[in-house]
Amino acid sequence: MEVLAQLLINGLSVGAVYALFALGYTLVFSVLGVINFAHGALFTLGAYLTYLLLGGAVGSNGALAGLQLPLALPLWAALPLAGLGTAAASLVVEAVAFRPLRRRGAEPLLYLITSLGAGVILVNLIQLLMGAEAYALPGQLLGALPAVLALGDGLQIRTVQLLLLLVAALVMLLLSLWLNRSRAGKALQAVAEDATTARLLGINSGAMVQLAFALAGFLAGLAGGLVALSVSIAGPYFGISYGLKGLGVLVLGGLGSVPGAVLGGLIVGIAEACVPGNLSGYKDAVAFAFLFVVLLLRPQGLLGRRLVEKV
Amino acid sequence: MLDVSLLVQMLLGALLALAVYLPLRAGQLSLATPGFYAIGGTVAALLSTRAPALAGDGELYPLSSVLLELLLALLLAGALALVIGGPVLRLQGIYLAIATIALVEILRVLLLNSSWFGGAVGIFAIPQPFDGPEGYLGAYGLLLALVCWGCHWLEQQPLGRAMAAIRDDELAARCMGVDTDRVKLLAFLFSALVAAAAGVLAAHYFNSWNARQASFDASITSLAFVVLGGSRTWLGPVLGGLLLTALPELLRPVGDLRLIVFGLVILLGPVLIPQGLIPRGLINPKRP
Repeated sequence: MEVLAQLLINGLSVGAVYALFALGYTLVFSVLGVINFAHGALFTLGAYLTYLLLGGAVGSNGALAGLQLPLALPLWAALPLAGLGTAAASLVVEAVAFRPLRRRGAEPLLYLITSLGAGVILVNLIQLLMGAEAYALPGQLLGALPAVLALGDGLQIRTVQLLLLLVAALVMLLLSLWLNRSRAGKALQAVAEDATTARLLGINSGAMVQLAFALAGFLAGLAGGLVALSVSIAGPYFGISYGLKGLGVLVLGGLGSVPGAVLGGLIVGIAEACVPGNLSGYKDAVAFAFLFVVLLLRPQGLLGRRLVEKV
Repeated sequence: MLDVSLLVQMLLGALLALAVYLPLRAGQLSLATPGFYAIGGTVAALLSTRAPALAGDGELYPLSSVLLELLLALLLAGALALVIGGPVLRLQGIYLAIATIALVEILRVLLLNSSWFGGAVGIFAIPQPFDGPEGYLGAYGLLLALVCWGCHWLEQQPLGRAMAAIRDDELAARCMGVDTDRVKLLAFLFSALVAAAAGVLAAHYFNSWNARQASFDASITSLAFVVLGGSRTWLGPVLGGLLLTALPELLRPVGDLRLIVFGLVILLGPVLIPQGLIPRGLINPKRP
């Protein structure tokens, strides 16, 4: 029983990151109907920004070698600031890779290429400026808190994991409240439902697309910072595998569905945690195996709406 | 700057682009190409290093053995394409793309974790059927010419027209009596065969083979070849594959910036030339 509960705890904290990630994809997908392949690069950017804002120095391989901010921010300020920085980058991605195509009503296929191009540029800029080395966030960020909390019955959780879980849950709660209660959130949903009709009703759909990108960027930056905190930054490419898994999670839950993204993230996180140690090499295939089976049995995803083919 | 080994890689790029182009011609965005490419390469790598009977007596690995590998790889890739194509091709648009990405990732993880396939280090010392890159240039040139001829021929055939009809409007094509499931499956099958054949030669050419050959990056890069070259006729992907494979090498003088320039090209390409380098009108001016 303890083993099972411990698996659940580990799985939930990993799954929460996947869910944050998939939420970013889903926001963009629901308003534009396309997938933003630069999302993994934005996640990477968030991780590096968090590192810099916490007062970390650039290693010797980057063009900015030795650069360090004059003051080190505390974690509670660095994480949201990194999120804001990533949101700004996400808006730039929208302006260069999405807006020109959207204006022209281009094929969805082209967005895959342009957003990938933006991601390639972003990742390689990071590599150029910061070098390809791994970065670990400073260790004493959590102040007096112990590294591991005991929950009784032999269960334990790393403080970082708990933090991750709490921040992710808070963000998801705020996001769903905002989407369903606020005027701007409802406008965003209207654009997601039908952009043309929304425009006829006086909703500025271009602004809503930008809003979706800014929010998605913020979530990507936050997820990047949290993962960097939990497992350190392995190099400029470390967002890619999370990006792919986020994609799997996204489709698993149902494209464009916010609760689906959360459910998909938690399922994949828990399923990965359940892979026994001697088979841990196969862990990366779990999300995709799930995805594949779900796609074949229920193509619209777990919580997605059935697609109706229009004539 | 344009040395023989770069030319070989350019031809390989053109072949992979054609493998993405074939299902796209029938309106299906399948990103499974690197998976079938990896299957072809793995078959060649395994047979040529683990089957002493194929090694021959001469200094060079016999070409007949390469042909045998090719045959087996095509059979395996073809059978797999037919088996998974049925359920996968029921998916539409981006769902199909993501399902095929998932397939490639599952395959990559399986190859990476199985010691039989060399695990993470891969298979080394794959014997050489040619004594220099020129031989590979000839072999790839022949294969590319064959595939181009096949695509050109296909475009004249009822099957090729049915593929174009599905691309333009699947529902309308079905109403006109096109067996859309069969046509899509055939396009998927052709794509798998082209990718697997390219993989067999690649395993010999690169001399070693590992699971990294089947990656998500490779999927999207070959899609970029098609989109930038133009996805309306077979000449587009060929041109896109040749140019975009050469680009990072030709950009070597700019050093660290080369991947950034590559990113700029694939970012700006679809924005500036949405039809690709070879739009349909350029080849066949009679048709709009």
